[in-house]
Amino acid sequence: MAVTTAEAAPARGGLVTWVTTTDHKRIGVLYMVTAFVFFLLGGLMALVMRTELAEPGRQVVSPQLYNQLFTVHGTIMIFLFVAPFALGLGNYLLPLQVGAPDMAFPRMNALSYWLLLAGGVAILAGFGTFGGAAATGWTGYPPLSGPRYSPGAGVDLWLFGLMLTSASSIMTAVNFLATAFLFRAPGMTMWRVPLFTWTSIVTALIILVSFPPLSVAFSFLFVDRRFGGHFFDPAFGGSPLLYQHLFWFLGHPEVYVMILPFFGVISEILPVFSRKPLFGYTGLVLATLGIAGLSMGVWAHHMFTTGAVSNPFFSIMSFLIAVPTGIKFFNWIGTMWRGQLSFPTPMLFALGFMLNFLIGGVTGVMVASPPVDFHVHDTQFVVAHFHYTIMGGSVFGVFAALHFWFPKFTGVLLRERLGRFSFWLMMVGFNVTFWPLFVVGLRGMPRRIVDYDAAAGWGGPNLLATAGSFLLALGVVVVVVNIVVSLRRKEFVGDDPWGANSLEWATTSPPPHHNFESLPPIRSERPAFDMRHPSEERA
Amino acid sequence: MRPRTLVALGALLLGACSRFGAPPGATEQGRAIAGLWRVFFIAALAVAAIVIGLILWSVIRYRRPRNGRPAQFRDNLPLEVLYTIIPVLIVTALFVVTFQVESGVERPSTHPVATIHVTAFDWSWRFDYGDGAVIAGTPDRPPEMVVPTGRPVRIILSSDDVVHAFYIPDFLFKRDATPGLIQQFDLQVDQEGVYRGQCAEFCGLDHARMRFTVRAVSVTEFETWLANAREQAG
Repeated sequence: MAVTTAEAAPARGGLVTWVTTTDHKRIGVLYMVTAFVFFLLGGLMALVMRTELAEPGRQVVSPQLYNQLFTVHGTIMIFLFVAPFALGLGNYLLPLQVGAPDMAFPRMNALSYWLLLAGGVAILAGFGTFGGAAATGWTGYPPLSGPRYSPGAGVDLWLFGLMLTSASSIMTAVNFLATAFLFRAPGMTMWRVPLFTWTSIVTALIILVSFPPLSVAFSFLFVDRRFGGHFFDPAFGGSPLLYQHLFWFLGHPEVYVMILPFFGVISEILPVFSRKPLFGYTGLVLATLGIAGLSMGVWAHHMFTTGAVSNPFFSIMSFLIAVPTGIKFFNWIGTMWRGQLSFPTPMLFALGFMLNFLIGGVTGVMVASPPVDFHVHDTQFVVAHFHYTIMGGSVFGVFAALHFWFPKFTGVLLRERLGRFSFWLMMVGFNVTFWPLFVVGLRGMPRRIVDYDAAAGWGGPNLLATAGSFLLALGVVVVVVNIVVSLRRKEFVGDDPWGANSLEWATTSPPPHHNFESLPPIRSERPAFDMRHPSEERA
Repeated sequence: MRPRTLVALGALLLGACSRFGAPPGATEQGRAIAGLWRVFFIAALAVAAIVIGLILWSVIRYRRPRNGRPAQFRDNLPLEVLYTIIPVLIVTALFVVTFQVESGVERPSTHPVATIHVTAFDWSWRFDYGDGAVIAGTPDRPPEMVVPTGRPVRIILSSDDVVHAFYIPDFLFKRDATPGLIQQFDLQVDQEGVYRGQCAEFCGLDHARMRFTVRAVSVTEFETWLANAREQAG
C-alpha cells in the first residue's frame, strides 16, 4: 500500500522528472507540447512567406531566405508537428484506451521522444550555418540537393535530423503495435478497441513499411554528398528518378500517417456529441485498413509529369482511395443521423475537419487524373489541395483532440467561449487563405516562387490569401491564450465532463501513474458508456 | 435585338463559368485537358454538394439534446454496401474518361512540322531548332519560343543540371525536364498569340525568374522566321 502511494504521488514539476520520465502520459505531453512549439515556428515562417506573396515584387525576404523558409516550413509541419502530435496523442491515449499500465517498452518510448527533439533541433540548426538551412523544398530532390548545387551544411543537417525523426517514428510504431497487441485488458478484444487506437495501430503499420525506404534514400543522398557517391548523379549513371521513387514511397504513406489518427479522433468525438454509437465500427476499421493497403501503391502519382512512370496504374490506385475515405464520411454522417447533437468546441472542430477535408478529398481525386495533373501539378492548386487535407483536416483534428482530451490531461476544461471564438477565426481564416490558391493555381501560378509577374493577374487572390492567413494566425493565438488562462485559473470538472465512451474516461482525470486503480468490465467498444448505463442492453 | 443580346450575354457568361477557373486551352491537347477538367469539376461539385448537404442537414435537424437518449442504432449492411459500390462506379467512370483524354494528349503525331530541342538550365531555357537556329535566355532576358499554328510541333525536352519543368498554363500542360532523361511530346497550337511559360519544378535560387514566352504565328510566318534565324546563325 505504501508503495502504491509513493508511486501515485511523484514529485510534481521539476525539470529532472520530466527529462527522466518513462511514463507514457508524460512522454505524450512532451511530444504534444514540443510539436505545438514547432507548429508555432512553422506558422511564423508561413506568415513571412504569405506577406512576401501579398503583392508582386520582392518586399520582405531575399530569394535565398524564402527558399529556406518554405523548405523548413514543410519539413516542420509534416515531420515535427502533425505526425509527432498524432504520435504523442497516441502515446498518451493508446495504453489508456486498451487498459494497459504503460507502453510495452517505456524506455524506448522515452528515447523516441528525445530522438525527435534532437532531429528537430538539427534541422533548425541549419539556419545558423554558413549558407543557411536546406533550400531544396521538403522533397529534397537531387541533383538540387546534391553536393554540387547545395554544398552547404544545411542539407546535411536536414538529412541527419530527418533520419533521427524517422528512427524515432519507427520506435514509436513498434511500441504502439506491441502495446495494442499484447497489453490489452481482459475483455478488450480487437473488435472492442476504440477507433483512435485502431487508427494508431494502422498508422504504426504504415510507418514500419514506409520509413525504412526514406532512410535508405537519405543515406544514399548523404553518401553522394559527403563520400563521392553517384546514386543520384546522372553524369555517372545515377538516377534522380530513383530518389523520387524512394522518397514518395515514404512521402505518400506519410500523408496517411498524418491523417489516419485524426480520422480516429473524429470517430471518437462524433459519437460522444451525437449521443449515439459509431454508425459502422467494423466498416470504419476495414476502411482504415483499406486506405493503408492502397496507400502503399500510389506513390508515383507525385511523378505523373516525369513522363517516366505508369500513369494508369498509379492513377486508378489513387482514385480507389476515395472509396474507403467515402465510407468514413458516410459513417460519420450515419453517426450524427437522428442523434441529439451538441456543439462544444471539440465538436465544432470535428465538423470543420469534415467540411475542409471533403474539399481536400474531392480535389485529391482531380489531381489523381494525370491529364488534370499535367496542368495543376506543382502549382498553387496543389498547395491549396494539400493544405485542405493537412491544415483544414489534420490540424483541425489536432484542435478537436486538444479541446476534447484537455480535461483528461489536466482535469480542467478549456474555456468554451474562447474555444468557439478560436474555431470561427480559424475556420474563416483557413478558407480565406487557401481557397484563393485554387484560383491562382488554375491560372498557372507555380508553387515555391518568391515573386510573380504583375501582368499574370495573380495579385488579387494572393492579397486575399495573405489577409486570411493573419486571421488564421489570430485563431491560433486565441488557442494559446485559452490554454494559458485555463491552466492559470483552474476550474476542475471531474473525471468525465463529456459523458464519453472509451476506456480512458473510466479512470481519474488526470489518470494515476499506472493509469487504473480498477478496470470496469469491458463488454463493448464503449466501456465508459456501459459503466454509466449498467442496465442498458447492448444495441 | 434585345433578346438576342441577352442570349449572347448568357452564352458568354456560361462560357466563362463553364471553364471553372481553368484556361480554355490554346492547343489541341490543352482543350482536351480543359474538357476533362470540366468533367472532374462537375463530378466533384455533385459529390461535395451531396455530402455537405447531408452534414448540414444532420447538424440543423438533429441539434440540441432533448430528454432521454436517442435510439442507439448502428450498422446497416445494405446501406454500407451501397455507399461502397457507388463511389467505385464513380471513380471507374472517371478513370475511363481520364485515359481517353490522356492517350489523345500523349499520342505522337506522324508529321510534326518542326522539332524543337528544349533544354532547361539554371535558370533559363535554350530552344534549338537545328541548323544553328538556337535561342537561349537568361533570368533577366527570358527567351521566346516561336511556333507555327495549326500544325503539330515536337518538343524534345531535357535538362543540363537539376530537375526543372516546362510549363505553359494556357496549354494546360507541363513536363519535367530531368537530367539524364529525354522526354518527347507534341503540341499543336490553335491560335496565334503570345503565351507565358515558366519553370514549375523548384530548381534553386532564381526559380521564380525562370520564365519564357511562346509566340505562335502562321505557318508561313514561322517558316520565314526560321529561315532568317538559320541564316543569321550561318
